[in-house]
Formats: sequence, structure tokens, C-alpha cells
Amino acid sequence: MTDFDFEARRARLDPLFESARSLADGTSERGRNARQRLAASSGLSAEGVEFALQRCLEIAPNEREIAALIRSTPIARVAHVLLAGNVFVAAHRAIAIALAASSEVRVRASRREPEMAELLLAGAPNSFQVVHELSPLAGDRLWAYGSDETMADVATTLASGVAMHAHGSGFGVALLDDLRSESDLERLLAGLAEDIALFDQRGCLSPRVLLVNAAQSAVKTVARALADELEKLEERVPRGRLPPEELSEIAKYRDTAHFLGDVFEAGAGFVSVGDAGSWLLPPTGRNIHVLPSAEPIAALASYGPLLTCCAFAGEPARRQALGRTAPGARVCRFGEMQRPPFDGPVDRRDA
Amino acid sequence: MTRTARSDRLHEVVRRFASGDGDHSFGEIALEIAHFQREFSPGFARLCASRGGSPSRVDEIPGVPCDAFRLTRVAVHPEAEDRLRFYTSGTTSGARGMHAMRVTETYQALALKFGRAALLSNERAHHVVALAPLLDDPPTSSLGHMMAMFMVDFEQRGHAQVRTGDRWLIGDQGVDLDGLQKAAERAQQLRETLLVLATSFALVGLLDALDGGTLPLPTGSIVMQTGGFKGKTREIEPAELRTTLARAFGISEAQIVSEYGMTELTSQLYEATVPGSALSRERSGSPGIYAEPPWLRVIPVDPTTLEPVPSGDVGIARIIDLGNVDSAIAIQTQDRVRRVEGGVVLLGRAAGAPPRGCSLAIEEFLASKPQ
Repeated sequence: MTDFDFEARRARLDPLFESARSLADGTSERGRNARQRLAASSGLSAEGVEFALQRCLEIAPNEREIAALIRSTPIARVAHVLLAGNVFVAAHRAIAIALAASSEVRVRASRREPEMAELLLAGAPNSFQVVHELSPLAGDRLWAYGSDETMADVATTLASGVAMHAHGSGFGVALLDDLRSESDLERLLAGLAEDIALFDQRGCLSPRVLLVNAAQSAVKTVARALADELEKLEERVPRGRLPPEELSEIAKYRDTAHFLGDVFEAGAGFVSVGDAGSWLLPPTGRNIHVLPSAEPIAALASYGPLLTCCAFAGEPARRQALGRTAPGARVCRFGEMQRPPFDGPVDRRDA
Repeated sequence: MTRTARSDRLHEVVRRFASGDGDHSFGEIALEIAHFQREFSPGFARLCASRGGSPSRVDEIPGVPCDAFRLTRVAVHPEAEDRLRFYTSGTTSGARGMHAMRVTETYQALALKFGRAALLSNERAHHVVALAPLLDDPPTSSLGHMMAMFMVDFEQRGHAQVRTGDRWLIGDQGVDLDGLQKAAERAQQLRETLLVLATSFALVGLLDALDGGTLPLPTGSIVMQTGGFKGKTREIEPAELRTTLARAFGISEAQIVSEYGMTELTSQLYEATVPGSALSRERSGSPGIYAEPPWLRVIPVDPTTLEPVPSGDVGIARIIDLGNVDSAIAIQTQDRVRRVEGGVVLLGRAAGAPPRGCSLAIEEFLASKPQ
């Protein structure tokens, strides 16, 4: 890539970043309008939308990350983007990747969350197109985000010669590899509570399981403390509305978890505790399953392809081992699961 | 009294209740079993505690979600006391649940009593075949075990050979059309009726193998179908399947009876359609209405609150099964049901939370879970 190519690609991103910055400004008319529309489409509470905009929308990515994003993105004749509907800020990164790939970008938003792409476009007119259908041709690239089922469906309809970058289903986990001092633990769990609560846990980066390298009794204490943090956070950031199907899943999970072990109420959600090896994936809606593991990194090996993000607290050497076990997942600190560096897709599973 | 002695006594009470000469009501027995399980099953005790403690009415007994059977052991007794272990087929996910039984006599007594009432129309001996793979030894499928029991009991031939290839008519090549034809001819010669026990997907496989042809069964024969399609074949609407099967077998639609059972249950429900059967004399026999045996009760509950819904409303089925003495007296399913005169109507499985983007669904997770 020549410097000229790089600069041309870099220049295409600026209007998008400016659009995101103006959206994040809640004092402007545009910012206020965005908040109303996003609350209506996402189902998050008004506070949940604000929390997500302030914590997760990248309004000032640093140049090193932007350079990495551009250099890791292949060029396309036309870049197509199929957005998922669960994490509205994800549209920003997805469109940035597409703009790094091509000067011609077509975006199809999710029917569930059609607003963010439109809002970004309104602040960066002509940067990209929002379309109802994508029809990529040979030589084009498609970045698709959504469930594995959607990815499989899309793959079967693609014309030959279209390169697809599929980011399918996944989930996040957190590993507490050594129990720190009480104050450290409180800070870690407060961060994890934010990771859980953002987007009401609907993102593929959202943690659903916490592994703790400690005895069962200590794990129970951690679980209770995490439930307290979630409850505290909910006072500031209430959970949004959930459809009956999600509430039904939560009722089923709660009773299953009661049968398996202890369950702590955590505001509107629950923190469940299992025995070592008792993996349970709670439904979204601010629920997490906590279990002890003497070998938490090894315990993740079976789930490697599904892991998008691992929050880790422990020795640096162990952190590296975790990265090798789940190469498709970002490894980060507690409280940073929903804010991966702006250097490419949110997970590494397409790398 | 020890756990084992209490369990044995409860089994005896349930069997007596089923035979009609017990001293206790359904509610009394259900609550006694619930209290017994609360004492000896820590998981059930926690579930009860989450509802405020000990249940005092049948509809207060919390249902153990079927998922629990896939994730942990649901039994009041240790593994060493298991006499049978039945495994679920896994439905759409790969994880299999297990229902352990310490006492098999209760299962046998209940399954046979209601099976006879639902499937046998008179005193004539039946020849019984199954559109199912040869039963494992020991049996791991509750359905296969029940089919084998029906073969022995309904034919009344003493020690009938059950594990023979001419009775289990699903092989490596699929449905054994030839085998079923021979069984039908043999029954015809002996002036017996044929009872064909089958899963819905096996019956669809049979229809596909017949390719529009027919395979007439002797007059008075019965076809028992059970279960869903589980993604194994094309799906056919129940009414269409019934009509097509009746035409293919040359029998009336009333002679095709659906059974509803689950590995997690001890007991079964049936449509009361078989002409002349004891069940059809007692209940209204419309297709699609599943009659409960006296020792089982279906309570439709709200899927989000898990509280019983008003009579006639649709809910998900919580099933109180007195046969589940040593496992879970109440099972919480995701099957949508509505109570009607004569039983319950099954309305399909409640939709799980729709996938919202890339967040992993629970079924996908269970499918990937190491066994």
C-alpha cells in the first residue's frame, strides 16, 4: 500500500468519525434526536442508550488504531455491510471497515435496529449508501454480522467471486484467575457489571460466564458481590424492555440455575453459581453464570470458536496462554469488553 | 423412615392410586412426593425455596425445567441405585438429558395401564411391531423400552421374544418396508390385529418408501405415533399425516392415535380416538386432544411468570407426574398447551427468544457443549 492509498483510505473515515462525534453530543438537537430514535429501536432504557453512547461509541480513535484498521482491511471494488440488530454502536466500526476497503460502500441495516446507520449517514452525507437489499458482485466484499444461521443463509445466496467476512454467533467470558484484595475485586466486578449491562447483554462481546480460580465458597462470595454491583448499576442504568420470549427464557434459566446451585438476584437479572464444570449459558438481559475452575484457561478450550472476548485478571504470562487458547477472542481487562480497540473487527475470528 | 423406604412406600401408593384402589387423592400424593423430593434433592429444595418454601397446593409445586436434565442429575438417589437410565434424543441441540430410575415397576405399571386403555380396542391379541431401531440392552430410550413392554404385555404370549429384527423395523437402510409387509400378512393369517408403534419421522420415512403406494393392515389395526420430526425428515402437518397414513394403511383415521411422552416423564398422554378402547369410552375422542391418565396432570402456566393461566388460556405445560417419585414430580416444559374438555391440546413448542444478531443462543451453546 502506498502512502497515497493509505491517505485516501484514511480520508474516507473522517466524515464518519465526525458524524459519530456529533451523535454522541447529547446537548445538540441531533444528539437528542438520536437518543430518542435509538431508545425506540433498541429497546434499551434512555439511560442504557446514553451509557452505550458514552462508553462504546468510538468518537476519538487514536491514529495507531486507525492505521491498524486500514492496514488489516483488504481493498474491495465495492464493500457491502450487513449489520446485526443487537448492538447499535457496532454500525460505526462496521462502516469504518467498509470505508477502509472501498470508496463505494453499501450498508443494509437490521430490521430490528435500522436507526444507527441512518443517523451516521445523516452526519456524513454521501460517505456511503443505506440500501434495502445487498447484491454484491464478483470482486466485491461483504462484511456480515449476525447469527450463524444468518451467516449460513447469506453465504448460500452470494454470487461466486464475492469474498465474505462473516462474524457470526459468539459470547464473552470473564476469567478471574487470582483473587485480589477486596478493593481490587470490587473494582474488577464493577467493571464486569458494566460489561454485562451494556446493551442489556445482547452483544456477542457481552460476558455470559465468569470463571473463578478459587474454591466454591469464595466463588459464591464473588457471585454475591457481582450481583450487588449489577444491582447498584441498575439504579443508574435501568434495564430496558424485554419481549415476552426473552422474559420466558430468563424464567427458564432462573429455575434451571436454582436447580443447579445458588442464584442471586441482581436487579432485574440474576447471577447463578454452579459447580466446577457446570457450564450454563444464561440468556441475555443481564444474567451471568459463575463457576469455579482450577484450570480456567484449559476449561475454555472447548468453546474457543464461540468466544469473541475474554476479560482476564491474573498474571501476564497466563494472559498470553489465554490468547493462545482462544485465538479468535480479544483478551482485555475487566470493564473493557465492550470497548475493543478500533483496529479492526470486534473479534479475531475472521483473522 | 429411610429415603429408600419412603420412596418404596410412595411408589406403592402411586401404583395403588393408578389401579384405582388407593386411599389418597392425586393432590395428597403429589404434595407428599414434592415434600419427599424437597428433602432429598438439594436442587428441588432450592427451587422450592425460591418460591417461598414448601408447596401447599399442587399448582404451587415448581416445575423442574427440562434443561436441568441435560445439565445435571435429577434424582433423589445415588447413581449406584439406578436400575435404568433413559436418555433424551437431544432434539435440536447435541446435549442429551438423562432420567434415572431406581424403581422400574411403577413405570411399567403406569405405562401399561394407560397404554392398554388407549390402544387396545378389545380382548383380541395383537401382534406388535415398532418402526424403531432394535432396542439397546440395557435400554437407553424410554420410548424403545415402552415399545418393548407393549410387545410383551399386549400380545399375552408369555415370554415373547422382543429383541428380534422382525419386530424393530428401522435398520441401517431406513424403514424395513418388507418387514412391515410380512408382519401385516402374518397378523392377517392369524386373524390378529397389528399394532404399529412409531415415531412421526419414521412414519414419514415409511410414506416416502411407499412412494404413494399402500400397505394394508388387518382390520382393527392401530398405529401409535409419537414425537416430533427433530429435523430428521420433512415435516407434515398432523392432520395431513393422519389422513395420508390412514389411506396408506387402509384403516380409519380414528385408528391412528398420537401419544405424548417425554424421557423426563414416567407417564404418557394419548388421544382417545381408538374405537372401542377404554379411553374412548371415558373421554371425548377428538384428534388433537390428549387425555391425561388419572395420575398425571397438565397445568398450563404463563411462560414469563410461570403462574397457572386462567382455564382455557394458552400456557406452557407444567406436568405433574406421580410416576416421577425419584426424579422430579413436576416438569416444566416449553410445550404450548390449552386445556379443553377431555384433556389438553398441544400447540407446538414455545418459540425461544429470537436471535438478536450475533449473541449466542442457548440452543447453539448446548449443541456445542462437550458431552
